[in-house]
Amino acid sequence: MSRFAWRLAGHLVRGLVMIWVVTTFTFFLIRLMPGNPVQIQYERLIQIGMSPDQAESATAVTYGFLPHGSVWSQYLDYLWALLHGDLGVSVDAQGVQVTDRVMAAAPWTVVLVLSGILVSFLIGVVLGVIAAIKRSKATGHALSVAGSLLHGVPPFVIGILLVALFTRVWKLFPSGGQYNADEVSPGFYLDFFGNVAYHAVLPATAYALASYGGWLLAMRSSVASVLGDDFLLAAELRGLTRLTQFRYLVRNAILPLFTVLAISFGLMFGGAIFIERIFNYPGLGMLLIGSIGARDYSMMSGAFLLITVAVIAANILADLLYTAIDPRVRRT
Amino acid sequence: MAIIELATPVRTGAPEVRVDGLTVAYRTDAGELPAVADVSLELPAGTITGLVGESGSGKSTLALALLGAVQHPGRVTAGSITIDGVGDVTKLDRAALRKARGKHIGYVFQAAQNSLNPLKTVGKQLLDLGRSHAVGDLRGLLRDARGLLDRMGLDAERVLDAYQHELSGGMRQRVGIMFALVLNAHLVVLDEPTTALDMITQANILQIVRDVHTALGLTTLVVTHDVGVVAEVAQRLAVMYGGRIVEFGPTAEVLAQPRHPYTRGLVNAIPRLTGDVDEAQPLPGRPPTLGTIPAVGCVFRERCPLRMSVCETVAPPPVTSADGRTVACHAVVQA
Amino acid sequence: MSATTARRRFWRGVWVALKRRPSRLVGVGIVALFTVLAIAGPWFYPDRLPYDADDIYAPISWKHPLSTDFEGVDVLALVITGTRGVLLVAAAAGLVTVVLGTATGLYAGYRRGAADSVLMRIADFILTIPGFPLLVVLTVATNLSAWWKMALVLGLIGWGSLARAVRSQTLSLRERGFIEAARGLGMPVRHIVAKELLPNVAPYIATNMLIAVTAYIYAQVGLFFLGVLPLNTSNWGVMLNQAVFGSGALISPDALPYLLAPLGAILLLTLGVVLVIDAMEEIFNPRLRAA
Repeated sequence: MSRFAWRLAGHLVRGLVMIWVVTTFTFFLIRLMPGNPVQIQYERLIQIGMSPDQAESATAVTYGFLPHGSVWSQYLDYLWALLHGDLGVSVDAQGVQVTDRVMAAAPWTVVLVLSGILVSFLIGVVLGVIAAIKRSKATGHALSVAGSLLHGVPPFVIGILLVALFTRVWKLFPSGGQYNADEVSPGFYLDFFGNVAYHAVLPATAYALASYGGWLLAMRSSVASVLGDDFLLAAELRGLTRLTQFRYLVRNAILPLFTVLAISFGLMFGGAIFIERIFNYPGLGMLLIGSIGARDYSMMSGAFLLITVAVIAANILADLLYTAIDPRVRRT
Repeated sequence: MAIIELATPVRTGAPEVRVDGLTVAYRTDAGELPAVADVSLELPAGTITGLVGESGSGKSTLALALLGAVQHPGRVTAGSITIDGVGDVTKLDRAALRKARGKHIGYVFQAAQNSLNPLKTVGKQLLDLGRSHAVGDLRGLLRDARGLLDRMGLDAERVLDAYQHELSGGMRQRVGIMFALVLNAHLVVLDEPTTALDMITQANILQIVRDVHTALGLTTLVVTHDVGVVAEVAQRLAVMYGGRIVEFGPTAEVLAQPRHPYTRGLVNAIPRLTGDVDEAQPLPGRPPTLGTIPAVGCVFRERCPLRMSVCETVAPPPVTSADGRTVACHAVVQA
Repeated sequence: MSATTARRRFWRGVWVALKRRPSRLVGVGIVALFTVLAIAGPWFYPDRLPYDADDIYAPISWKHPLSTDFEGVDVLALVITGTRGVLLVAAAAGLVTVVLGTATGLYAGYRRGAADSVLMRIADFILTIPGFPLLVVLTVATNLSAWWKMALVLGLIGWGSLARAVRSQTLSLRERGFIEAARGLGMPVRHIVAKELLPNVAPYIATNMLIAVTAYIYAQVGLFFLGVLPLNTSNWGVMLNQAVFGSGALISPDALPYLLAPLGAILLLTLGVVLVIDAMEEIFNPRLRAA
């Protein structure tokens, strides 16, 4: 157990260092951007009649640091505010905390990404096993090529095709939003969840289609390598049932996929920008794109930061899961 | 070593095994090539037989064929393998074969190979084995396993609770033997049982093989490239070369007076502890691979010091002489 | 074995692998077609494509095989002329990735020790950060309209996986005694790297380069599609943006070809790349052939 704790601690430290690097990066990016947006906002506030003092503190609220003063004191102010969970105030939605907007958007993205990963993982693993077992036959080759193709096609292509097919050609699903506000209002009751699920089907399918090819390919090569292992021949020669042999094979082959999970999370959250934009779905990706259109830089860095944190957290989780399942890591 | 009685005393007797005209061929780009060609071999009930050959001689294919488990793209193209209590292995359907494996025929893997699922404890895999063979009394199965592990000098409780990576090479090999015997199989095939083990562990494992063989009344086949191992445990010795059994007879006699030129080369190649290393004569040339085995004539002629013109065209048939020894060589039979 | 026989043997291996599955020849054809389109395509069209306000979303005909857009510009011409800019940037970015990734991977695998762990930590860091959001933020913050800036940034974001692949290959060559043997023969480091290591990691570089270039094409198309980059050039991303968000191609069935043409181009290119990679894997790893 202490081994597990050490591993967790190591991950947390590494994760925190990464988050620190990313925040530093976004800070300097915004501070040193062409046409310094902090300075621009300060000047705009003066123009609309604020006193320099008022304008200064208002700008500080937005970005988390004072518009004047050295880069280093601004940097420290920014980090200090961040430590208190303060990402500044959104310029676009006046007076609203970036943290609040980001936190409101995050669950929608996380739920979609997780359900997409889950579905694609299950389908990809099953088809990957088939592709590996039939790899010298036409079925296996066709499955592999289809998997590579879907794996290689960018997520926006899949998203656009789904929208065009299932909301225009066949009007089966709503084309956007996370629920229909005319039909239900948010709350803890079945109709609301049903409505949310109905709206989530297409974007979740887009995530699943975008990542299932990767799972298929990973599972195929993993199964192919486990198939050559001696313990499977041993299981056959001991007369274990085919079902038991199959379980041995799949469990051993799935294990390495948890290392792929980390990369997959990164790709999925990257794809969120496209899929949420295409399906008009108000998650983190939509927030990021919206903030760019509105030149809302505190919002932009906040959304980017949270996407990064989500990916890092998902990475840590995936590795701990791996540790929990593999006895070779768990007990040595 | 003390012999402890097992909890389940009811055991059927050791079976006899008759291999008759067996040919196993692998499909390759160059067509179907035989790895085992027209092999006949008898394992009398209750004996230990050693099967010796270099890698590529077909000995592992023959061992797998005994379990009806020749791996793709190979298949039995001719001949039969009859095991008492099982029948002709080459004619059994898939379900009957599966039931025979483990229950009637035990197979022990090479020590260097990992014959255990790395993600499950030995105990859990034992239960999988029991369920696969519809053992009603799983508790009794565990008891038998403990008995076997104790007999082999292992801490049974610890081993049953261990994963493969927590066991040493010698321990794994004993666990492998336990798996082969725990369902009361009376025919046991050991594939290179001591390769990759250190000398002391090797001696230990061979002692155990002899011990369980007599205590449980088994018919045992030891497949190895190591003549020393066979000399240690086997009563009878079969020498394989290029997919054929070239010599067969009582171990002591074959090793003391090898008749086939290949066996002679093999025995001369062993450096003796007491003798001069320079006296050991390595066999010239290389053993053939599946693609280079001559299709007609004697398979050994390329390396043979006694080569004659008839060897080019006619494969020497195995001839059994009055003293019970079998040799397949034109030169020896003529002499 | 002389260099020429080695080369001849290599090309014979390529030919055998391609012939084994005709689909691979199709893949090579597709990739070659897009390369030719990128280089030569714009020569056949004027800088400003002709438009015709009376011929918007024209029905499919010989004159407009893929219909026209919301201004009456021929869609096929748009798809063809839109290939060059994106492909040029992607190829340049791929070069940056290959140079950086190979150098880092070779150095880390060759030196090992502290340099190795520091470099690999950096590579892991870059691999973990979600690349596309980072690209979006960077594009906004640093004005990446200039093609070489875009190429540089793409290349800098994408070298992590190649560095890892090259490093692990270098390490395994080292384990097999390649490097020690060469050093024992008194060969200079430059020779070991150029003659012993590079040829052995070349397959990984080639495969990675192809994958990276494709990814960079799609990253740019994605940026244009989202409207993060200015829409003043013509390429597939701009077409998609206009079709999905602008002109309502999703609503009017007449405009469907305008939407489907760039999507089809992307699907076709992906298919070509997938088939070529399938062939490359067999060429570089002949063991797969036996299976």
